[in-house]
Amino acid sequence: MKKYVVWAGMTLGLLANASGAFAADNGPKMLTPHYTYNAKTIIAGAKLFATDCMACHSIKFMRYEFLTQDLGMSKADVHKYIMLPTGSEFKGTMVSAMPINMAHKWFGLPPPDLSQMVRYKSQDWVYTYLLSFYRDPQRPSGWNNYVFPNVAMPDVLAPYGGIVNEHGKVLRAGDESPQKFKEQVTDIVAFLRFVSDPSVVQRDDDGPWVLGLLVLFTIFAYFLKKEYWKDVK
Amino acid sequence: MSFKEWFVKRSPLPEMWREHMAEYYAPKNFNIFYYAGSLLLLMVVLQFLSGFLVMAHYIPTARDAYDSVYGIMYDVHYGWLMQYMHVDGVSLIFILLYIHMARGMLYGSYRSPREIVWIIGYTTYLAFMAEAFFGYILPYSNLSYWAGTVITSLFKSIPFIGHWVTTLVRGGAGMSGDTLGRFTALHVTVVFLVIVGLIVFHILYLHKVGSNNPDGIEIKANKGPDGHPVDGIPFHPYYSVKDLFGFGVWLTIFAAIIFYAPTFHHIFLERTMSTPANPLKSLPDVTPPWYLSPFYAMLRAIPNKNGGIILMVVAVLFPFVLPWLDKNPVKSTRYRPITRIMLIIFFINFFVLAYLGEQPPLPKYFFPERLGAVIYVAFFVLLPLVSKFEPTRTPPARVRFRAH
Amino acid sequence: MSDETQDNKHAPNVTRRRFLTALVTVSGAAVAGTIVVPMVKSLDPTAAAAALATTTIDLNPIEPGMQMVALWQEKPVIVVNRTPEMLATLDETAQKGLLKDPNCNVPQQPPYCKNKYRSRVPEWYVGIKICNHLCCIPHYRPKKASVAPWWLGGFHCPCHGSMYDLSARVIKGSPAPHNMAVPEYDIDVEKKSVVVTKMYPLAHLC
Repeated sequence: MKKYVVWAGMTLGLLANASGAFAADNGPKMLTPHYTYNAKTIIAGAKLFATDCMACHSIKFMRYEFLTQDLGMSKADVHKYIMLPTGSEFKGTMVSAMPINMAHKWFGLPPPDLSQMVRYKSQDWVYTYLLSFYRDPQRPSGWNNYVFPNVAMPDVLAPYGGIVNEHGKVLRAGDESPQKFKEQVTDIVAFLRFVSDPSVVQRDDDGPWVLGLLVLFTIFAYFLKKEYWKDVK
Repeated sequence: MSFKEWFVKRSPLPEMWREHMAEYYAPKNFNIFYYAGSLLLLMVVLQFLSGFLVMAHYIPTARDAYDSVYGIMYDVHYGWLMQYMHVDGVSLIFILLYIHMARGMLYGSYRSPREIVWIIGYTTYLAFMAEAFFGYILPYSNLSYWAGTVITSLFKSIPFIGHWVTTLVRGGAGMSGDTLGRFTALHVTVVFLVIVGLIVFHILYLHKVGSNNPDGIEIKANKGPDGHPVDGIPFHPYYSVKDLFGFGVWLTIFAAIIFYAPTFHHIFLERTMSTPANPLKSLPDVTPPWYLSPFYAMLRAIPNKNGGIILMVVAVLFPFVLPWLDKNPVKSTRYRPITRIMLIIFFINFFVLAYLGEQPPLPKYFFPERLGAVIYVAFFVLLPLVSKFEPTRTPPARVRFRAH
Repeated sequence: MSDETQDNKHAPNVTRRRFLTALVTVSGAAVAGTIVVPMVKSLDPTAAAAALATTTIDLNPIEPGMQMVALWQEKPVIVVNRTPEMLATLDETAQKGLLKDPNCNVPQQPPYCKNKYRSRVPEWYVGIKICNHLCCIPHYRPKKASVAPWWLGGFHCPCHGSMYDLSARVIKGSPAPHNMAVPEYDIDVEKKSVVVTKMYPLAHLC
């Protein structure tokens, strides 16, 4: 038995080492959003996303109805806060109203679909990116970003967060306090994290039951095995 | 004649049941590593079921593949479960494959009379690699696109016909929807059937000669008055109930991963799997999944294209000749301390290579990669010499076993 | 159990074994259920399919006496704007005894359409345009005597000659057994729109 413990320890140690190393990111230093991941945060983020992001960005894998099924929003609230007044179906996907050819004309490239953005870039990246805009008169949009240099997107959150120049000097204060603004960005990140894997709700609901059942089965099987192996001398 | 008698008379199943389960005598001293075999069978069945249901919603075209795969996650009831089972299942299968092979190497299970069992098993491992690779391409994410481009371009190194083979595999000059079509067909038919066939033969060949055990001694050499090995116990019920317990533990681990860490810190499901294929934008660094990265590290270790590919191919093929490299009459490394140390270094080295294969191709990793490649090859080269001259302890006449 | 005898003969505790086997079997079946139930569920219509499950049809372009066909769940849905003259033929076909099921006793339509018009609003007929003989698509033949000298208007199937009146009630002598199916729908006469919500579950399509 002691031997197994040593073996398991060695294997786990190696795995832990390896996993830490595999996950290592070689990019610039990222900020980490701190928040509780629950329906309240996600819904707050969904409202902000609908107001400030969805004019350009789609989340084409999401459907409005998922917000009621998974997060417990009422259908009326989804209609009021999230859905565009016309041209979208409750069971339809959350697609931006901006036509693709217009997007090409305005930004050179269509704004990316954000369904999987947190999966792809990590939530730290999205959080840091949204907080890293600065005024740059040399860019056509007038904006630049530390995390994503020469990005085509303007800082749509500037009215809340204010405007800074390249050196971090505040050119115009935002409508919200810096603390509140960070909270808002955090909510958007929470929403995008949810969008990148809405199964989290069902997984958290079903997980304990499935694991409990499996543990029960394992215990019964262990006693059955012990009983039969009494024969083996 | 009752129905049961009639059925038993006509059916080959009762005989097969006796031969492979009820009267298959296995050594009684199997340890924890011996769970891996039956767990692999379980995992293949689960991969088949989840794969069937994922395939039911998959569209193998360049335009729709990515959206259909993510449509499974969002739109299909329990689609996330099917998808995570299928994705995480791959990594768990390779963990088990490595445990299963390492156990065979530790206790000399590849040795006479089980050379063919080893060769079939190792071929199955290679078939799993191919199956995993094809599956990797199907979501047509950017990772799929570039991994597919890099791996299929390896065929270009085949002398004379390299370009023709590469075009044949891709169905064109580069990756495209045509590639997806043939890879889908290979993934769900040919390679899968080959795996199933190999597994069947692996078990049949094993049951012909009987199982090895941690002491590496042949239990058939010591038979009791009833004609059965005195150290053997019928597979059913003793190992069947034991494996049920193993199933329980393993499925608990599997479920915990699926429910609480489905991407496993993006080792089992890489970040770049979550962005669609973009032929204009290569990935920052193309690294293979963890289970293939040791060989990839060796590929990169040599600063010459064909040289690297040859080293990788040699590294992959070396285990085939393992049964003939080991010259020592003692099978289990329990009684061969030097080989055991060599093996443990070999295993650790394999882990280190896996880690290195995941790193960006920076010069600072070249030396460790080369060292790792040398250690890997050195094990196989040194084994004939070491095994011939190493001091051994005498294995016991009967298997070591303490009754529970 | 600590007897040190060499042979394997000792009495196994059969009751305990049976009991434990039963526990393992039951919990094992439950474990299998947690895998099998989601697997079967995953073959249910997807959310994407559910999003396409309802169709809204605009009635504005349909002039009196005309019809329009919309595709709904891979099936043709016909909407007919019936004139008063056309509605009058419905009584005539019934009185002449031409129909197999004039009172719509076979539930080929939701209960709210179980009337001679087979619709929520007399003028607007909404139905699945599939002949329930062998699944062909019947032609719309509103003109009198266009199919036979006695023809009052209705539907005529090109495959095996099944005939229906203007409420898609099947006419005697046709191979088709039942009236054509009517799906569940909502109609808003003021906004001039029909929303087809789902198939009426009891109806036979073909």
